Order: sequence, then C-alpha cells, then structure tokens
Amino acid sequence: MTDTRLTRRELLQRGAGAVIAAGLAAAGGYALYDPKGNRGLRTANDAALKLKNYFADIDFPASSPRLSIATGGPESMEKLVRAAIGGLDPSQGIKRFIAKGDVVLIKPNVGFDRAPHLGATTNPEVLRWTIRLCNEAGAGRVIIADNPIESPDACFSKSGIKEIADAEGAKVMLPAENTFATLAIRDRAPDPTRGEALGRWQLFHRPLADATKVIGLAPIKDHNLCGASMNLKNWYGLLGGRRNQFHQAIHNIISDLGLMMSPTLVIADGTRVMMRNGPTGGRTTDVKPGGEIGRPTIVASVDPVACDAWCYQHLLGRDPAKLAYLEMAQRKIAEQTATGVKRLGERDWQAYERAGLIAKAVL
Amino acid sequence: MSETPKQRSPVTEFHESHGNWLRITTVRIIVQTTMFALFLSFVALTTFAKLDQYPTLRHWVSKILEVDPLVSIATALTTHTIYKGLLWSLLILIPTLFIGRFFCGWICPYGALHHFVGWAFGGLKGKRKADANRYRPMFAFKYYVLLAMLVLAIFGSLQIGLLDPICLVYRSFTGSVLPALNMPVQSIFGDYRLHQGGWFIGALLFFFVAMNLVIPRFFCRVLCPLGALMGFLSRFAWWRIERNCDLCDYCNQCPTSCEGACEPDKELRRSECFVCFNCIEDCPTGALTFAFLPPKDHEVTSPDVRRRSVVVAALAGLALYPFARSSAGSTRNFSAKCIRPPGSTEELEFLSRCIKCGQCIRVCPTNVLQPAWSEAGVEGLWTPVMNFRIGHCQLHCTACGQVCPTGAIQRISVEEKLGLGEFADRGPIKLGTAHFDTGRCLPYSKNIPCVVCEEVCPTSPKAIYTERQMRTIRDGKKTVTASTDSTVTLGDPPLAGQTLAQPTTFPPDRFRGDETTLCYVLIRHPDGMTETQRILGNDARTLRIEGRFARAPETGSTATIKLEYKVPSVDTRLCIGCGLCERECPVVGDRRAVYVTAEGESRSQYYGERDRNRSLRLLKSEG
Repeated sequence: MTDTRLTRRELLQRGAGAVIAAGLAAAGGYALYDPKGNRGLRTANDAALKLKNYFADIDFPASSPRLSIATGGPESMEKLVRAAIGGLDPSQGIKRFIAKGDVVLIKPNVGFDRAPHLGATTNPEVLRWTIRLCNEAGAGRVIIADNPIESPDACFSKSGIKEIADAEGAKVMLPAENTFATLAIRDRAPDPTRGEALGRWQLFHRPLADATKVIGLAPIKDHNLCGASMNLKNWYGLLGGRRNQFHQAIHNIISDLGLMMSPTLVIADGTRVMMRNGPTGGRTTDVKPGGEIGRPTIVASVDPVACDAWCYQHLLGRDPAKLAYLEMAQRKIAEQTATGVKRLGERDWQAYERAGLIAKAVL
Repeated sequence: MSETPKQRSPVTEFHESHGNWLRITTVRIIVQTTMFALFLSFVALTTFAKLDQYPTLRHWVSKILEVDPLVSIATALTTHTIYKGLLWSLLILIPTLFIGRFFCGWICPYGALHHFVGWAFGGLKGKRKADANRYRPMFAFKYYVLLAMLVLAIFGSLQIGLLDPICLVYRSFTGSVLPALNMPVQSIFGDYRLHQGGWFIGALLFFFVAMNLVIPRFFCRVLCPLGALMGFLSRFAWWRIERNCDLCDYCNQCPTSCEGACEPDKELRRSECFVCFNCIEDCPTGALTFAFLPPKDHEVTSPDVRRRSVVVAALAGLALYPFARSSAGSTRNFSAKCIRPPGSTEELEFLSRCIKCGQCIRVCPTNVLQPAWSEAGVEGLWTPVMNFRIGHCQLHCTACGQVCPTGAIQRISVEEKLGLGEFADRGPIKLGTAHFDTGRCLPYSKNIPCVVCEEVCPTSPKAIYTERQMRTIRDGKKTVTASTDSTVTLGDPPLAGQTLAQPTTFPPDRFRGDETTLCYVLIRHPDGMTETQRILGNDARTLRIEGRFARAPETGSTATIKLEYKVPSVDTRLCIGCGLCERECPVVGDRRAVYVTAEGESRSQYYGERDRNRSLRLLKSEG
C-alpha cells in the first residue's frame, strides 16, 4: 500500500499557495477598486500642462524700440536680418534676447508643399540668418519645428527649410504622436459667445517644452478666410488634434493663439509678400517683394499684435482697424497683463511711433 | 485489485437510512435551478418600467456579471481599475482557490442550462455515456482561448465578452431568447422588441446548447474561458475529490455521471473537476470522497496544455491586437453611425470596458440600442450602438448606465445628461448632431409641407427651428387676364407667337393656405415692377388676395404663384443627437431626410488627440 499521507512540503505548498493567492486576489482587488467608476477617465477638471511665457525673462527697457523695420535690396539678406533685429537693441542686438546656452525654437511657416519663391512659406534665407544670429549669440541649440497639414517631410523639403536648417546646424523636429501633449490655454471650457476657442488642446509640445526662447518667423500673406496670415496666425502650426474645426470661428482661434503664445520676439518676413489668393497662393504673380513698400522688408518686434497691425497696413495695404482678430487679441492680452503677466499686445502701432519706439533702417 | 473485502460505501448507507432524496447532488440541483431562475428573473426584470418602479433592482440585475472573476480580471488588465460592483467577484474567486471549480458545477447559469439539456436530451446510457465523459485533448482549447483573450486585454482590447459564459448567456437571452418569448405576447399589445442580427446570437446559443447531445457540457469543457480560469486557479485548492484505490472496484460508475470529464477513475484532473459530487454519490464502494488536502501524486493538478500551443495562443492574442487596431475601424476610419449610449466613455476607453453583455440593450425603453456588427469596427462586435430607425434616446432616461457592470456606460444622473443644476456650465451630453438632407426633406425638395421633426424635438428650447422659404409651384407661372383691386384672374401663358392667354382651371380654394403653408402671388408688371400679395382663396380662374393691390395688375403681366413653407434647420448649439427627429421623419428609405451622425459627441471632448474628437459647438460670437 502506498503511503497516502500528505508530505510536509506538499502541505506547505498547497496550504500556503491557496492562502497567498487569495490574499493577492483580495489585495489586488482593493488596490484597483474604483468605487466611483471613473478612475482613469478624462474630465474637464484634469490637471494639464501650461505654456511658458518666453518673454518673461527678457530685460526689455521701456525706451527700446518695439518694432524694427528694415527695408533693402534682395542682394543681402544678411544685412536685412541683422538690421531688423539690431534695430530692437542697437548696442546688444540679438544678445538682448538670446543668452549663452539658450535652447531657441524658431517657428517658421512650413505649412505648404510649395517652393520658396511662391511666398507660401518662410523665406529660407531669412531663416538662415536668423539661425546664424542665434548661434552667434551663443545659443546651445536651435530647433526648427512646425506641424503642417500636408506631409511634413514633403513640406520641409520643398520649401527649402530642411536644407537650410541642416546647413546651419539647427535641428528640425517633425511632428509625431509622442511629441504632442494636452495643454491648458484656459482653465475652463472656452465660451464662443465671448470669442473664445481654446480651453485645453493638443499642442506640438516637445519643441516648446525643450525651448527656453521662442522666435516666430512668419511670412506676410493674404488669407481668404481671416484677412491675412501673419505672426499671430503663425502659431496655428503648433496646434494638434482636429484643429480644422476652428475655421468656423477663425478670429476666435487666431486671437486665442495670440493669447496662448508669448514669444521672445517675432520676425515678420516681408521679403515675398503674398498679395492675393492666400494662404496657398501658387502663382508668382501673387507675390510682391515687400508688398506695397516695393522692396524686401523684414520687421522684428517684441509686440506681435503691433507687428501684425503694422504689416497689414504697410505691406498688404489694408486697414488694421477692420481686422477683427487684432482687436480681440489685444483685449485678451490686456486681461492677462492686468494680472501681472509680462508681455506686449497693442495693435495701435501709431502710439509706438508717436513715442519714438519704432526703428527704421533703409539699406 | 485489493484483497480486503468489499465495503459498502458509507454514502450509500447514509442514503438508504435517510431516504434517497437527501443527497448532496439534490442540493446541488436545487442550487443550480435557483441560480438559473435567478438569472432568468434578473434579465426579465431588466426593463425601464421595472427599474423605475423598484430602484434597488438596478443593483441586482447585473449581479451575476459582477461576480464573474474573468470580467473583473480582464477589465483590471484593460483599465487598471476594478469598477464598483466588480469587487464582488472576490466572492467567487477566493472560494475557487480553496474548493476548485464549484462555480461550474453549482453556480453558473449557463452551465446549468447545458447540464439540463444534456440530461434531458442526452439519451446516452451505460458505457457509451462513460465514454462520452472521457477527457479529450481538445478540452485544452479553452486555456488557449483564455490566454489569447488575456493577452489582448493587456493591450487594452476587451474581447472576453465574446465567449465568457455569463456575458454570452446574458447577451443571448437579452438579444434573442427573451425577445422571442415576448413576441407572441407583444404582437397583441404592440411592437415587439427588435435586435439587429439577433438571429445569429440566438443561433449560436442554440448551437452551443445542442452540442451537449454530442459531448456533454461541450461549451464548458472545450470553449469556456471562465472555466479555464477556474481550472487554472484550482491548483492550490485544499479540498478535492479523492479516490482510494484500495476500495475502488473499477466498476466505471463514476465517469458515467462525471460532469467535468475529469476522469475520477483514473488520475483525476483537478482542473477539469466541476465539484458536482455525482461520482461520490454514485460510487458503490465509497472509494470516492471529498478530501481535505489529499496527496498530490494522486492527481493531475495542472491543465493539460502543450507548451507550444500556449506560445501560439499568446502569439495569437499578441497579433490580433495590431491586426484589429490598424484596421482603423475604431480610429480614423470610424463610422459616423457608431453612436453610443449617453454616459458612454470615449471610444477606445469604451472598447476596453464593454463586455457585450447586452444589459443596456435590454433595458433601453425605446429599443434604440442595438448590438453593433460593422458600425464599431471588429473590436466593437455586439457592443451597443444607436439605431435611430428603430428608436430614439429618451430625454429623461439614464437606464443604460444603471445596469452596465463595467462602467463602459457611466452611471450618470438625469441632471448630468441634460446639463442642469451643477452641470449647467458643462452643458448637456451630446450623442451626436442631426443633419438635414435637403434633397430628401419634403418642404425643401418636394414642395410638401412637413415639420414633424420640429414638433418632436424634445430639447428646450428646440434644437430644430424653422424658417420660411418661398417656392414656386409646378406650372406656377401664369398670365394676368383681368384684375380688380383685390382679385386677379389668370390664364396659362400664351402659346408661341400668340398674345391670348390659354385657359386654366384651379381647384376651388386650392391656394387658401393654412397655418403651415401660405400662398402668395407675385405680379411682375411689364415695366419690371413687382408686387407680392397673399392669396386668401380662389375659384376656377380668379385669385382673391389679402388687402388690396398697390398697383392693379395689367393684362399681360406675369403672375407667379408661390407657396411659403416652413423649412427646418438644426441649431448645433442645442442639438443633443437624441434621434427623435430621425425616428419620426416620414421620409423612409436608406437614409431619412434628417439623420444623426456622431459629430460633436461630448464623450470625446477631453480626448483631443483621438480621431473622434469633433466639435460643432464652435460658433461666431453672435447672440
């Protein structure tokens, strides 16, 4: 007869095994227990990231020019860019804005799969010299980023931006799923009846998170829906998600973009102004160097709203008082500065002129 | 063979002295019957009317789903939470660790159904019955099914609902059996319930149940992932059936009645034993007992799975996830007809929670919820979607979320659904948005007055509003032959080359109009001046207008008769996508003149990076 009694080891294995398994099951159950039933689901009240104020650290005296306009011939893009940026601070130039070791994000318009001479994207030569200046100021790294509607590879390549960035040692960051994050532009849901479009939204966040300084580099273009695509509209390329919905209330979104982004400085690229058929254009007859001024013009500014207003008037030859998003952006920024935030957003460029805060250079 | 004299089983002795009815198997049969009756009453009571009348019922009708450990383990893998009542599954899980697969033999209502059908219709006897209860290698298949589904669950795709017995029996009864039973009754009193594709769900149930005539407890032994889980969890059990070889007569009685095909006369596969006690009751010598901590070498503890097949099963689960997800049915190529119940979580969250139990479909008072076939992608098979041809979402009803055991549909209040009280700043839950197809809508395209959609729109203020639009009637261009200051007599335009108007005849008071449709006549004088007046009545040839003509129509002027219809429009700020307009629209066909799509569904609003995030709330800054 075989000994059918349980060995001590088997007793331990069997006995302990069941008790431990039961204990683990109970403990696991309580650890994961979700009595309200909505754990892990997103709600309106989730904490979210906020965008930095890239102008907050800039020591900008009240007497320095707010806009710096440089007009010149097409022969020397270098002179034009240096004159425009230098005009904001004659003694230090770019060094007032970019410090040694800074990670600078330059955000050009790379929205379309078009060659540069068609004026739909930022002039690569203007980008080249902007990168060069940042490097001269000692920037640790320069990032070039945009989130186009069409294939990013095709747009960066056809517009010539990738080639220039590679030549100047700047890093091109293309949009990918893991480079986006949800940011809170407002702490509550937007109210369309008060001209608001953004609450929380997906942004192309990786370049923004890495950067310590942000420079917007937008071409000046006619736009069939909103009037003109300039510096404020340029930030549209940072939006992710289903952003096509915002066109239903285009002035709401553009002014919200102006609220969302407080850049270190903006550079308006008026070297090839798209006078009509914007924003895609497609014919060289739509493009005029310098627009109404007639010669290539670059405007550097610490006040994106004033810059847009000036460019709308002088480059496109239209009345900025009729451009709704300028007034709305000014109102929203004023609400923000009233709480102590350091930034500029005045559409009344004439007030700057009267105060002698516009620098002009003609080459 | 042993040499000790054959004993009488103490069990048999006990029975004979106490009467044959007092057996543990009798108790088990009572428990099984009770569990099935409980299940049947739960699904029968899952109706809007009953839940409204007895609010505590909502905590009970999905209880059997809540105690199912596979549901809680799988949803824990997909969502990393144990939703509310699913904690009750510990009530089944922990005893299984100590006793073994008692759930399969005593509790499972689906198992009880199989057991009953096998017993009532099986017809096998003696040795043939014992052979039918032999262990077969195909019984290992359920472990592979379980593994593949758990691997899928790790990636976030919940598919256990397809074969989990409780989900399956709930879905089959709510989707086919109960509607079939209700049909003869409800045909007298009104519309019977409809369930798209329910024929397949019912046929599948019938097939699985009928297979009991081939192999008893076929589903439980071959396919059941819950049984596989229980089998796996039995490895540490403290009690189990034990055979004393010295007493055993090798009479083959035990396999004749064995439910689990665990071969009590051989090595006894613990992972297959249903703890049904049939073998103990039937053993004439008492060799079989229910022992505490029997020695391990008398049993086969682990499920009999081949390692290679385990790897294949795991790989299947691993591969099926990207196969399914990259087919885009749940992502960019989503169907706008996949409109989910109010309170549903965002779509990918939903697919990680829905166990396809059909409770929400059953309780829905308007029958609008239907099991999806292609609307929700391959992962969404049999998940609930709305079909507004069949019903609509009742405004003040939140029944679906009350009975959802896993939180795929959250438990919301009516205030939250309608955006009232503390939820006023969030606004109502939108299921989608209604759109008009103006090529089919009667007033827009067929000059037929109709505003049923506006009438039935339940929101307050109504999301569907009307505007007036004037349209010329067919052959509405006439010529003036005579007029007075308040009448005008008409004829058809003259033939080519002639000046005299052709005679025309109107039905009497054809152009009187009513509250919804007003009639107008537009007079165009030869010098181009026009005047429009409302028509109050007419006879065969003459129209009578309201008031007076400012300038009397001259003979030869053209007179165009127009009707002014109310034409409907949707205010996307107010539309909640309830579908009552689509349900009531008289234009039937492949698509109604007004139909709801998933645009603007509020459940996607916090998931900006997902493809279903769409918002039609954006509007100009106007009042």
